[in-house]
Amino acid sequence: SSSSSSDSDEESLSEGEMAALKEEVEEKKKLVATLRNKPWRMKRRLILLEAQEFIEKFEGALGKGKGKKLYAFKVMMTKKFIKFKRDFENFKTAFIPWEGKIKEVEHFGSSVASYFIFLRWMYGLNLVLFGFMFGLVVLPEILMGLPYGSIPRKTVPRQEQAKAMDFSVLFDFGGYCKYSFLFYGYYDHKRTIGVLQFRLPLSYLLVGVGIFGYSLMVVIRMARNSNEGGDGADEGEFTFSWKMFTSWDYLIGNPETADNKYASITTSFKESIVDEQENQKDENIHLRRFLRVLANVLILCSLGGSGYLIYFVVKRSQEFADMDNDELSWFEKNEVEFVMSLLGLVCPPLFETIAELEDYHPRIALKWQLGRIFALFLGNLYTFLFALFDEVNAKLESEKTIKNATEWALKEYRSNYSSYFNTTDVPPPDVHPADVIRGPCWETAVGIEFVKLIVSDIQVNYLTILIGDFLRAVIVRFLNYCWCWDLEAGFPSYGEFDISGNVLGLIFNQGMIMGAFYAPGLVGLNVLRLLCSMYYQCWAVMACNVPHERVFKASRSNNFYMGLLLLVLFLSLLPVVYTIMTLSPSFDCGPFGQEKMYDVVMETIEQDLPSFIGDIFGYATNPGLIMPAVLLMRLAIYYLNAVSKGYQQANIDLKKKMQTDEEKNRRNNTDSTNQVMKDLEDLLPDKSLILPPTAETKSPKMKPGAAANGKGVNLQKDVSLAASNPRGVVTRAPGPRSQPPGNARGPKPGQGRGRGGGRPPRQ
Amino acid sequence: MGSRASTLLREEEIEEIKKETGFSHSQITRLYSRFTSLDKGENGTLSREDFQRIPELAINPLGDRIINAFFPEGEDQVNFRGFMRTLAHFRPIEDSEKNKNTSTSEPLNSRTNKLLFAFRLYDLDRDDKISRDELLQVLRMMVGVNISDEQLGSIADRTIQEADTNGDSSISFNEFIKVLEKVDVEQKMSIRFLH
Repeated sequence: SSSSSSDSDEESLSEGEMAALKEEVEEKKKLVATLRNKPWRMKRRLILLEAQEFIEKFEGALGKGKGKKLYAFKVMMTKKFIKFKRDFENFKTAFIPWEGKIKEVEHFGSSVASYFIFLRWMYGLNLVLFGFMFGLVVLPEILMGLPYGSIPRKTVPRQEQAKAMDFSVLFDFGGYCKYSFLFYGYYDHKRTIGVLQFRLPLSYLLVGVGIFGYSLMVVIRMARNSNEGGDGADEGEFTFSWKMFTSWDYLIGNPETADNKYASITTSFKESIVDEQENQKDENIHLRRFLRVLANVLILCSLGGSGYLIYFVVKRSQEFADMDNDELSWFEKNEVEFVMSLLGLVCPPLFETIAELEDYHPRIALKWQLGRIFALFLGNLYTFLFALFDEVNAKLESEKTIKNATEWALKEYRSNYSSYFNTTDVPPPDVHPADVIRGPCWETAVGIEFVKLIVSDIQVNYLTILIGDFLRAVIVRFLNYCWCWDLEAGFPSYGEFDISGNVLGLIFNQGMIMGAFYAPGLVGLNVLRLLCSMYYQCWAVMACNVPHERVFKASRSNNFYMGLLLLVLFLSLLPVVYTIMTLSPSFDCGPFGQEKMYDVVMETIEQDLPSFIGDIFGYATNPGLIMPAVLLMRLAIYYLNAVSKGYQQANIDLKKKMQTDEEKNRRNNTDSTNQVMKDLEDLLPDKSLILPPTAETKSPKMKPGAAANGKGVNLQKDVSLAASNPRGVVTRAPGPRSQPPGNARGPKPGQGRGRGGGRPPRQ
Repeated sequence: MGSRASTLLREEEIEEIKKETGFSHSQITRLYSRFTSLDKGENGTLSREDFQRIPELAINPLGDRIINAFFPEGEDQVNFRGFMRTLAHFRPIEDSEKNKNTSTSEPLNSRTNKLLFAFRLYDLDRDDKISRDELLQVLRMMVGVNISDEQLGSIADRTIQEADTNGDSSISFNEFIKVLEKVDVEQKMSIRFLH
């Protein structure tokens, strides 16, 4: 019976339970006291230990014996702790940022609110990345590194100094901006800096790569979490009935929340209605297929066209870079970013209109649309990167010549000096940092390109909202008074919030942030951008947009967008890793002075860590070891996949079993209780030990002699007697005793509700 | 909290309520203190206005019907016994009771009785069927004027189509039970006592 009473362990006990517990403890005490007198074997007496434990545990609960104070104290502390935990949880939820705002937006439907939740999550992610970058790279360089103007890489060259403070130059991230901590070129390649011997180059490399790793990890974790919440019973069967009977949230007490809930119930019904309508449309297959093929061809053409356009524009920008800056108009200087943003603006609606040909179910059409926009952005990004790559190679070439020239000049200086002064100890040339000949720092150039891209993206985004939503709403509202047709109902009417477009924009923005390896300030910029976006878009949605007429989510769970994010992050990781591995860093700018960027890691291993670790790494990078490791990883993936499938199958089987069990239970009442009794039986350590208490509680009116008799006789008797009572003793107050005590020996049907009901009495 | 309230509630009453509804001693005293805090007139009974003061009920589209469920036929006041009798439907089902079979007299908080309580909220004329009109009324309350009448009509038809198995164009109690089979009614329709 200790197994069954252990569930009511440390909780506060009601009076009935206390009384029952009291009786139990008394019995056990008596048992312990009289044990010596019993002619039992040693094995049985050892079971005494269990009884002893039971007494000690529960006597405290009853307010007697040694354990009383300790038990009361424990109970009080547990209660206090639970209350504290609850208060703390409530307190914590008050700190979740923008929760009120998001609840307001939920009025538009859960999809729009989910966009803002996604935005908030991105903001959190970027904040962490910013913390890493800032704390481990930027701050050490600023605090412990050399100040501006001390070495060539940190100074604006003499030619540019006249214009370095101009707004137009700063806006293009030239001038003082270029030679600040925002970009790669500022960082010094000394191995350690400052008093703390902080290894900046190593930190730079690790943080740059670590940012990726962290983002990927977090996204995978989110994807896993959102999967757990979703799957349950199949939703299809009673959609409307469930919406009807179970959609209200009874815990809502705030009138505004209630309004939001009404609106979301309405939207949810509308969704279901449209869903139903779509399922009932007819088809004409051949025409449909032809149209679909045609649509896909058109879209491929436009994708190709946009890719070519970008390539062309980047090539032209290289030509412009060779010309003098003053002769170029603003448009020509920013052509690349302008074209890319324009494409991002124009192509999605174009795809949508072409997609009208296809006539898919709205949810599927949405997926196709998203896929196409994805392809568009990806194509644009990679074309841009390829075009940039040519530029980088060109810069590398020119760098080589400059480097040779610099070395040659230095050698000349040295030989002149030593021949003139006749010494070998040559001081470094006394040249002002601004006058030193500099190589073209290709990394900073790449960083600047990324930053300009993102800035123009932000500009286009905000402008679109301002013009496309706000201005449009203002025009429709005020011009409606004096216009021939109804502007609000017909064209152009108010804008709808384009969820999928916005989410994709956010995802690609995050992908482009991965260029932060070349521009550490980029992450900070992004944090600011997301913060502003949150407020700006919330305001725009509430003020200028109307809820969708047709409401569809792209997928039931969040996994679709998470998967997309993962893909984008991975794809934007590739170029950066490629450049780290293959291109050699500039010799006079940036934190890496070696042949290849990852050499700094090798250097650290050789010099800072004990020698045997270097040996270990040497062995570990041996191809003979790496191949088996790769093979092992593939086997592990395969195995885990198989196991997970096995679990899913087991899950399904268990669900089925549960259903059939439930049905069996309902049909066959007595069987279920028998099963329960059987389980309890199996749990009991030694059933004969339980007999005496049972006989006593069941029949207090029996004379002691009879009780003793019962004990003496029933010891060898059947177990069913014991099995029928343990729960009754501990968890319930003794129920009405319907049978005279004498019948306690054999169970009879109807002896107590559900107690050994169906079993034939055994003698 | 506990001691002040229970001096007004006699032990025998607590015992009777316990037998009738199955709540434990501490739960009854807790609910009694809630009862007294709602009872602004301090006359030992609650009126409909007292219930309306609860914001969650006032906002609820079915709030009036829920409040009506507390008051027996034709009366305007409910005392503590009546209050507890209705709340008994919302007593949490303990694990130890879960495996009990449905024999003669079920406790008030069994799954079937909880569902019956919910069913009665929809079935206003007590004919043991939720008709299309009753569904339309509920829909109208939940959705307001944002959806057109014919769409509401088709929603109601669709709901009946999903649930109706015997073809009488209305939802009987057994069909209602079947619809909500996979919903965790025991957990949703239970008071959450905090210890």
